[in-house]
Amino acid sequence: MVRFKSRYLLCEVRMSDPPSLQLLDDRSVFTALRNAVSRAHGDYGAGVCGLSFAVKYLNARTGVLFLRCRKSHYRLIWSALPFVSSLESRGQRLPCAVDCLHVGGTIRTCQKFLIRYNARQIQRLLPQCRSEEECVEVRRAVMSCSLKELEEEEEEEDEERGEVSAGQ
Amino acid sequence: EEPASYERLVLKNASVYHYLRISLVFQDSDKRLSEAQFKQLIISALRDLYGEIGAAFPFDVLKFEENTLKAIIRVLSSGLVKLWSALTLLGSYQNEPCAFRIIQVSPLLLALSGNSRDFE
Repeated sequence: MVRFKSRYLLCEVRMSDPPSLQLLDDRSVFTALRNAVSRAHGDYGAGVCGLSFAVKYLNARTGVLFLRCRKSHYRLIWSALPFVSSLESRGQRLPCAVDCLHVGGTIRTCQKFLIRYNARQIQRLLPQCRSEEECVEVRRAVMSCSLKELEEEEEEEDEERGEVSAGQ
Repeated sequence: EEPASYERLVLKNASVYHYLRISLVFQDSDKRLSEAQFKQLIISALRDLYGEIGAAFPFDVLKFEENTLKAIIRVLSSGLVKLWSALTLLGSYQNEPCAFRIIQVSPLLLALSGNSRDFE
């Protein structure tokens, strides 16, 4: 058996006004990228990238974006990323820029890189806090979004749901 | 230990440029182009197939005969395949069907001075 090898591009979408990130969806990013590739690399690029090119994950809060493409042609998409200057979403044109942070062979390595990258970003940004309270605030915010707490919340919700269904 | 009786030689083509002799053929044969229009036509063919990045590699029209629409083109060896495929897929000029014929391709310009297929 031979498997198709892919490259995963970990990118970051940066908006000129950050709240408009919420308007993004997979499809608008996909069409914008495909148009950029076909402009930069023509019919050949569009044809090659039509194979197994997909947006695997998009976080509309942080702007983190996972792209998948064939290993043999990932350079075509990679080189077209800087040419994306705006995304079209719900009838609005949103000026933006797409940065490539990491190129990995699996989603797992990209995820590892993303965790390390975010940890580094926090360390870089913490000294910019103006007062001690801000530091504590940030630390509490980081700790409050740990996976463990989420799981507990989910369990509680499940229990509640269970009770409701039992009541009915 | 006695040396091997044969020696292996690998000669790779290290030339920087390739030269093509091409001709442009129209369906109705009374069309005239200037040299600039001819080069513009090739660039637009490249842009259609390979986009703006693909159309940015350098090539030169060394010689262009306006009455026969034949030309000699010099291109970097790395761009030869791109140029060739773009020329092949070109279909029309100003809504008139046309085609490029590649007559000779060589890494040496001197090789284009004669063509054995033209001999009587």
